[in-house]
Amino acid sequence: MKTLLAVITSTLLVSIASGVPPVDFNRDIRPILSANCFACHGPDKEAREGDLRLDTAKGARKMLGPVEDSELVYRIETDDVDDLMPPEDTGHVLTETQKKLLRAWVASGGEYDTHWSFEPPVKATVPEDRHPIDHFVGEQLKKATGLTPADEANRYALIRRVSLDLTGLPPTIENADAFVKSGDFEAVVDRLLGAEDFGEHWARMWLDLARFADTKGYEKDRHRDMWRYRDWVIEALNRDLPYDQFTIEQLAGDLLPKPTTEQILATAFHRNTMENDEGGTDDEEFRVAAVKDRADTTMQVWMGLTMGCAKCHTHKYDPISIKDYYSFYSFFNQTEDADRPAPVMPTPTAQQSEQAAKFEAEITALNQKLKAKPAGYAEAFSKWKAAFKKTPPWQPLKLAGMQSKQGVKLTQAKDGTLKVRSENPEKDTWTLTLNLPAGETLTALRIDALPKKAGGKWPDKNVALRELTAEFLAPGAKPVKLKLANPRADFSQRGWEVARAIDGNRKAGWAFSPKAAEPHVAVFDFAKPISGGQLRLTLDMEYGLGLIFESFRLSASTHPVNWLTASLDPVAGLEKIFSEQVYGPTRELKAQLETIQEALKGVQSRISKTAIMRELAGEKRRKTRIHNRGNFLDQGDTVEAGVPEVFGKLPGESPANRLGVAQWLMQPENPLTARVMVNRVWARLFGIGIVETEEDFGSQGAVPSHPELLDWLAVDYREKDWSLKQLLKTIVMSGTYRQSAVVTPEKLAADPRNRLLSRGSRFRLSAEMVRDQSLAASGLLTRKLGGPSVMPPQPDGVWKSTYSGERWKNATGPDRYRRGLYTYAKRTSPHPAMLSFDAGSGEVCQIRRVRTNTPLQALVTLNDTAFIEAAGALAKRMTDIEHGFRLVLTRPPTAEEAKRLNALYETMKTDFASKLEEAQALLQSAGLKEGDAARVCVASVILNLDETLMKP
Amino acid sequence: MNLKLEQLRANTRRHFFKQSGLGFGAIALQQLLSAETAAAKKPRFRIPAKAKSIIYLHMAGSPSQLDLFENKPALTKYHGKVCPDEYLEGKRFAFIKGKPKMMGPVFDYTQHGESGQWISSLLPGLSSVIDDVCVIRSMHTEQFNHSPAQLLLQTGSQLLGSPSMGSWVTYGLGSENQNLPGFVVLASGGKTPSAGKSLWGSGFLPTVYQGVQCRTDGGDPILYLSDPKGMSRQMRRKTLDALNDLNEIQHQQIGDPETLTRISQYELAFRMQMSVPEVMDISKEPKHILDLYGAQPGHVSAAETAADPRQIYKGDDPTFANNCLLARRLVENGVRFVQLYDWGWDHHGSSLGESIDETLPIKCQQIDKAIAGLINDLKQRGLFDETLIVWGGEFGRTPMMQNNVRNELKKGFYGRDHHPHAFTMWMAGAGVKPGAYGSTDDIGYYIAEDKVGIRDLQSTVLHQLGLDPHRFSFPYQGLDQRLIGPTNDGKVISDILT
Repeated sequence: MKTLLAVITSTLLVSIASGVPPVDFNRDIRPILSANCFACHGPDKEAREGDLRLDTAKGARKMLGPVEDSELVYRIETDDVDDLMPPEDTGHVLTETQKKLLRAWVASGGEYDTHWSFEPPVKATVPEDRHPIDHFVGEQLKKATGLTPADEANRYALIRRVSLDLTGLPPTIENADAFVKSGDFEAVVDRLLGAEDFGEHWARMWLDLARFADTKGYEKDRHRDMWRYRDWVIEALNRDLPYDQFTIEQLAGDLLPKPTTEQILATAFHRNTMENDEGGTDDEEFRVAAVKDRADTTMQVWMGLTMGCAKCHTHKYDPISIKDYYSFYSFFNQTEDADRPAPVMPTPTAQQSEQAAKFEAEITALNQKLKAKPAGYAEAFSKWKAAFKKTPPWQPLKLAGMQSKQGVKLTQAKDGTLKVRSENPEKDTWTLTLNLPAGETLTALRIDALPKKAGGKWPDKNVALRELTAEFLAPGAKPVKLKLANPRADFSQRGWEVARAIDGNRKAGWAFSPKAAEPHVAVFDFAKPISGGQLRLTLDMEYGLGLIFESFRLSASTHPVNWLTASLDPVAGLEKIFSEQVYGPTRELKAQLETIQEALKGVQSRISKTAIMRELAGEKRRKTRIHNRGNFLDQGDTVEAGVPEVFGKLPGESPANRLGVAQWLMQPENPLTARVMVNRVWARLFGIGIVETEEDFGSQGAVPSHPELLDWLAVDYREKDWSLKQLLKTIVMSGTYRQSAVVTPEKLAADPRNRLLSRGSRFRLSAEMVRDQSLAASGLLTRKLGGPSVMPPQPDGVWKSTYSGERWKNATGPDRYRRGLYTYAKRTSPHPAMLSFDAGSGEVCQIRRVRTNTPLQALVTLNDTAFIEAAGALAKRMTDIEHGFRLVLTRPPTAEEAKRLNALYETMKTDFASKLEEAQALLQSAGLKEGDAARVCVASVILNLDETLMKP
Repeated sequence: MNLKLEQLRANTRRHFFKQSGLGFGAIALQQLLSAETAAAKKPRFRIPAKAKSIIYLHMAGSPSQLDLFENKPALTKYHGKVCPDEYLEGKRFAFIKGKPKMMGPVFDYTQHGESGQWISSLLPGLSSVIDDVCVIRSMHTEQFNHSPAQLLLQTGSQLLGSPSMGSWVTYGLGSENQNLPGFVVLASGGKTPSAGKSLWGSGFLPTVYQGVQCRTDGGDPILYLSDPKGMSRQMRRKTLDALNDLNEIQHQQIGDPETLTRISQYELAFRMQMSVPEVMDISKEPKHILDLYGAQPGHVSAAETAADPRQIYKGDDPTFANNCLLARRLVENGVRFVQLYDWGWDHHGSSLGESIDETLPIKCQQIDKAIAGLINDLKQRGLFDETLIVWGGEFGRTPMMQNNVRNELKKGFYGRDHHPHAFTMWMAGAGVKPGAYGSTDDIGYYIAEDKVGIRDLQSTVLHQLGLDPHRFSFPYQGLDQRLIGPTNDGKVISDILT
């Protein structure tokens, strides 16, 4: 590691011609060997040519030696095309500079170092009187260019910058003015770090990594509820959950002792992998694809290494073999999910939990009251019981006559049972005339469906009573239609509830699959009691498939209807009937109880079920084999779960599962985890990481521009309990962060891409920030934390998905103006405005977004409904042009700028004066009923300024 | 996503100072060259080009080669008989279960052109130009579900996240027109293809190279292209003048070259607002040209808004024809890569509106005249020799009937399952030798000679456009990524080239 510590200057700036710095293996040589030689002379045994490897000191030894004898030098400098390396047909060519470097390296002894990022970071000592970041950056800037850092940015720029960086939103004018007055930057930083907006903004970075989306991906790309995971990330960031715990819960929350719902919800991180619902696809193929994604993503996100290549063959550049790959894969190959939704878990929001708990408490209290029984209850019950038992609750009705479309005949047994005594048709309608007992007042009708005989012509024992109608026949009078009420049954098939038998609709009625082999009861009250005469019932059983009664009984009762239940044994549970239906005080309690139980059910049904990880146990655990050439159908040797050999083993006390992996990632000895994370955070603030290739810390990745700074930040982050907020505070409090972004010609020449941080970093806002800023400035933004995704307007016809009927419905009301983070994310069709500004699709882990500058972006901010409506709202909100300018850009406009905007306003005003219809049309596009169309144009210009789209 | 990309961006900015006017998806060649290789005139991946542009006609869902191009008397003989075991062992199918029956070609074949090729009676138009086309009967792929197979074909990987062929090509060659996107996508058939917009995504290449879908269903041809109602062209000009002036002031204050790029991109957007609707407006074409394709300006197909377009396919639906005519206008105007997707070729016969006996003739009717028209029109304009045309699906269809719903052939339900082992595509135009290439066994199950894989097809396309498929790469995730993948399996099919 001695050399690494010595490396202070960036490779980009080293002037080889000056000959000053000695050749450094990791900085100068490894990248050349890696890019040009390792493919054939690297870790991959299968691809190795000439039995030579150049990725190890041992392998390269025979190629080195004194320069004039060195085979390596000969091979790269020779004119003989047959001997020249790299061979022409590889397409690789060494530049003169690279050849000189290799020659110099051989001359200096050809020393090898371990790849820099595989050595643990060490915190260098820094002078006490200077911010450590400023120390590292300043020293290097001075050394490489002789330049000094820029002055601190003006306070308007500073507060806009830090507000956008920490919360993704611009400051209010009041906050800005207060800071300009006080100059207390730390207070601003603390306020922003404590705001809820903080979690919403930084969640975006993590959700890109987590490949979060609202749909499953692939052909059908159907909806799947994952938004509770997004809530979890926002909340975890807001409470500054330390990165080690943040990691452990997401990778293995389910494996923690007595995990909370929230900890299990965190494991949805790895359930964000795609699922393929396309017909005929092999679930195992896509389960394997998801597991590979989990292994790859874990390595990418936490260690900045690309293992993807190693799933087909040993990595050509980094020391990761195909065996390493499948050993690591094995940790993730032990969960229950298999390209299907399960396992899912109800994941209530805090509000839902609170409501449910409240209802549950009320239910308990009511149950207790019910159990305790009011005074006088026992006496009332025994009195009632006697009355109940005086007459039998149900009297079978005698069949007086019948009609059947299919000519079916019924016979009646002594106990009143009716049986089919003829050929059994597939379907039929019966009209039965039944004698009513004379002199009795009848309150209700009961049907006993008795089991069909086994086998026979009707294999299905179910009955489908599509519709039941009743008429009252009195001698000499016309039949009177009877209204049946309060239908109830001991059991109904789903979709065939007993109420549907009397709903006038013949599509469905009462049926009782899958419990068709058992007897069942249905009870209907007569809306008005009847007496004397006859009852005529029509039973529509025209469904087909022989779903008609074979054996049944019809009875009527004289009891009050609230004494009657649809239970097989009418005298069973008398106390229950009395308590719940008859006796006033308890009946009321019961009614209350039912209301609350319904309410509870309502809450529970709205609780989102999130896909989570669940470990397989015992015999169900899978054996992992190497997939030859990455093909899951071509399985090779069995492997044991383990981390790549080059990184040692799991910590001694760690279990060999995902929890162990998480602990291994977060142990202090891991050389990469902290570096990768601080680098990622740095890149979000400065536009480029200290290691530019955030996704690749391996030998093909870029070398760090400020290695000591990277290590200092990494160690400091770990030492300060992995606190993201602390890390951010450390960085934004530095002078380096606070520099002015003004670009001078000298700085542009000496440091064109600002890799040396000779000035403040000025770069374009992310897709979400562009949207959120315009909504916030115009006052449209809906401030609501968390919740399901929303559908802000998008042009018609963007969603045209194969075979999935899901539709985009433009939100109206508050959901139209939520932060971009909450925009519904469909993997095969992301929101086009977001896509234009380089947001990803959530299909796979996205380590960083490229930033482009295209005409399509101009069209979005000029013409997308969201931005026109924002212009309208801003036009309405601003008291004058200067105010509008400040709402967006924080600072006041210069006199020149104000003049130009006012000139535009005047011109547009004149134009619209003669074009009232156009003015009205523009106002309408901007969501305004009335107003000043010229102001809308000015507001739109302000929202489209380069400065608006950039971080100051 | 990496150093090279960032350098590219830096170079782009520098370029602005020299030439002012950064093209859209049109980063000029020399910008790809680092200072050290500037001595060479062209990057090493550039080779002499036969084609200036390409029109790729993708029949999403995959048409049946056995009912269009593969006349198999032996299969007719087996028609309705149970498939011999040897054809089923060890195979995976999407939907076929158990032992299916063989199904002979449903439509008549006749011989056409000098080469005497057998072409189905469903394609009279193509038959009339068959001497301009090279039919490849020996295509095969590794994927047998739509989404992964389309991705493999169009992006080189069955997984999501790789750049599409069109992105690669515009990245390598740029666009010839400063006012139009270099890579345009046109879709017909009422649905986007199974794998969705990833098929024209730019993957790890910068987003300027992603395909721009131009819509023909009545809305903006490019999303957000229209100014809001009430904002006239002159007013837009005035607001942009003010915007530019203010951005100039910002540039004086801060000095960031990116600000100048932004000004130029807003200007380009303004020009596109004119040029795109213009090029997309086929109503200006004379009647005999419209008739040549069967195009109907302004037609909005009911299929475009139908919940299930299969139910309402009509043979005279001109959407695909309109897109073919548009494709010609686009290449004529210097667009590099025009990609047409036509949805509705997945003829399993398991539900209404997706059968070989009833739906395939309708789909053929929709495309056949237009394709002949396109070839003839390009020829009469002298564009045929510099335009590469590729036609095909993402895989083929089985010689067996699909039997998961019924085991007997019933009218309106003739269907075939996905078949990756052999299928037909054709190429025409720039440097492609007309004729036939490759063949399959007597029932069209396996390839008999001259196998052509997806990698070979991709290699050939790149090669014709002047890009060396093996050297044309972009560093990402530790590898020099290529369209043709990490292995060197892909070979240019030189036998079909002049």
